[in-house]
Amino acid sequence: MTAHVITGAAIANCQGTTTDDVTAGAFAARDAFSASRAFEELPFTTLLGVLPTLPDDLDFPCAQTRLASVAFASVRQLRSAAARTVARWGSMRVAYVFASSTGGLEQSERAIAPSPLRPAPAVFSYADHLMDATSDSIAHNLGASGPRIAISTACSSSFKGLATAARLIDHGIADAVIVGSADSLCRTTIYGFHSLGLLAPTATEPFSTARNGITLGEGSAYVVLERATDATRADALAQVSGIGAASDAYHHTSPHPEGLGGQLAMREALARASLAASEIDFVSAHGTGTKLNDTAEALAASRVFEGAVPMTATKSLTGHTLGSAGLTSLVLALESIRRQVIPATRLTAPVDDALGISLVTRLTEARVRHVLVNAFGFGGSNASVVLSQVAP
Amino acid sequence: MIELCIRDVSLFSTRHASAHDVIAGIEREATPPAYKLLVGRARRFTSLVTQLHMEVAGALTIEPERPPVTVFATTHGEIQTAENLIADFRDNRVVSSARFALSVHNTPSGLYSVATGNTAASTTLTGANAIAASWLEAALTVLDADRDVLLSIADEPIPAVFHGPSEPSGIGAAFLLAQDTGRAAQLAIVDEARAPIDAGTTLAQLAEAIRLDAAATVHLGQLSPTQALELRVAAR
Repeated sequence: MTAHVITGAAIANCQGTTTDDVTAGAFAARDAFSASRAFEELPFTTLLGVLPTLPDDLDFPCAQTRLASVAFASVRQLRSAAARTVARWGSMRVAYVFASSTGGLEQSERAIAPSPLRPAPAVFSYADHLMDATSDSIAHNLGASGPRIAISTACSSSFKGLATAARLIDHGIADAVIVGSADSLCRTTIYGFHSLGLLAPTATEPFSTARNGITLGEGSAYVVLERATDATRADALAQVSGIGAASDAYHHTSPHPEGLGGQLAMREALARASLAASEIDFVSAHGTGTKLNDTAEALAASRVFEGAVPMTATKSLTGHTLGSAGLTSLVLALESIRRQVIPATRLTAPVDDALGISLVTRLTEARVRHVLVNAFGFGGSNASVVLSQVAP
Repeated sequence: MIELCIRDVSLFSTRHASAHDVIAGIEREATPPAYKLLVGRARRFTSLVTQLHMEVAGALTIEPERPPVTVFATTHGEIQTAENLIADFRDNRVVSSARFALSVHNTPSGLYSVATGNTAASTTLTGANAIAASWLEAALTVLDADRDVLLSIADEPIPAVFHGPSEPSGIGAAFLLAQDTGRAAQLAIVDEARAPIDAGTTLAQLAEAIRLDAAATVHLGQLSPTQALELRVAAR
C-alpha cells in the first residue's frame, strides 16, 4: 500500500472555530456544551455542542447554509496547506472527498418547518439539501480540480471518506486528496436520537457508571492527505498507517454485543499498519456515551488489545459530530502526537470498571507514536484508522 | 484506465418492465419492488429507495461463501423518510424512532449486511454525481479487494415539498464486479465537460450494455466539472 501522510489539518466545533482554540479547549477538558435553546427551543432537556460563532463571511459562492458555515470554519484555515499541495502536484491531481451524515438537511428543515429560532431561509433550493451541496464551491476555493466524491455512512462517514481518498492515491487517480467532513446541528437528529432514548439530558459521560446517552454536536474537520514522497516529508504532520472497515451484520442501529465489526475494523487497521496491538499507545474511542455502544466497544477493544491500552473518548469534549466524528477525533489525535499527551475523557462520574478498560480521565503525558481511532455508526458501519508519528 | 469485469447485473424500475423500456420510454403501471431479501420485521418502515436496493442487490447471483464488499449509491438518500420526520416535529407529533433509525443514507447497506450476514466493508456514496463516483469507488475497490464488489445504485422520487427535480419513478440497478471473471470492461476518466446525465436512463443503458453482446460505451456523468467518467464494455 502507498504510504499516506497528512500535510494539513483543520477543525472547528463547540470548543472553538479555529484549530488552536479547539485543541486548547479540548486538551484543557473545557466544558463547551450549551443549553439546547442556543439552537432551538425543545420540549425536553438536553445539551448541545454548538459552534461558538458561525462564520458569515463565506467567500465562495454556495448558499449561506449552516452546513456551509460549519464547513467553512475549517476550510478557511486550510488554505495555505492546500495551496502548497496544489503547487506540488497541480490542481487536477488533487481530489476532494466530503463526508457528512445530514448534509444540508437543516436548510430543508427551516424551509419546510420554520420555527422562531430556525426561521425559513430567504431562498431555498433543493441543491442546498444534497450531501455535496458545498463540494464544488469548497473544492474550487481550495484549488482542487480532481474528482469530487461525497460519502454518507452515518457516524463512520469521514473515515469511509479517508479510505476512499487513500484508494484514489493508491491507484493513481490523484496524488493528494482534501478530505473534509461537516455536520451541522439539525432538528431531525435531535428529535430522532431523543425518540430512540439515546440523548443524554446532561453532558455525555462515555464509559462512566453514569453514562446515559449522546450529547449532539456540530463541527467540521479537514485534512490534506498526500502520497508520501521526499517532497511531502517537510510538511508531513503524521502518517495514516492503516485503515480498516467492516460491518456488524447484526442490527441496523444496535451494535453487535461483542462489537464484532469494530473488532474486525481495528484488526484490519493494525494489519495494514503492520503493527502489533501492543504498539498502539492509545485508542481514541468512538465512545458515544450510550450504554450499549460503550459496552460493545469496550469489549471489542479488550478482545483486540488483550490488555490495558489507554482509551479516551473525545465526544465528552466536542459532542457527537456524527459524520464528522472520525476526522474530529483524528485531528485531536494528530495534536496528541505533536504534544505527546493523551487528552482526558471529561467525566463527573466514576469510570465503569465493569467495562474492563483503562480510560484516561486527565491529560496524561505519554509516548505517543501510534494512535488507533474508531468511528462506528448506524448500519453496523465500523471504521478504524491508525495514525502514526512521522519517522524523523 | 481501470480494467475490471462485470459478473452480473440487475435493474428494477417501478414504472418500466425492463431496461429496454426505460430507454424507449415505455411505461407500465406503478409496480412496487418485492424486495424478498428482507423478511418479517426487517421490512417494516423501509422506504422505496431501500426496497429498490434490496430488490436489485438481491437479484444478483452471489456465492454465499464469497460475500462481496459492497458499495451503495444514492443521490437523494432516504428523502421520503426525511420528509416524514420533518413533518413529525413540525406538527408536534412524536418523531418516529423506527423511521429515524432508517433515515441515514447507508440504511440499505446496513440492512443488506444484516440480511445476508455479510461483515465485509461497505460504503455509501451520494451527491449529484453519485453514479460516476460510485463506479469509480467500486472499480478501485475491486483492485484492492480479494473478493467481488457489489455496486448498488438507486433513488426514489423526491417529495414535492422539497421542490426538487421531478422524477416519477423509482429505479435501481446493481452490478457484481470482479477482477478477472465476467464481461470485460474499462472505466476511463475523460478530460471533458459533458451534458448532465439522466440517472434512470444511464442505469438502463448500463444494464443493456452489459446484457447485449456488442461493445458499448456509457457516459456515467462528471467526476468534476472538467472530468467525465465512462464505462467501456468490450464485445462479448
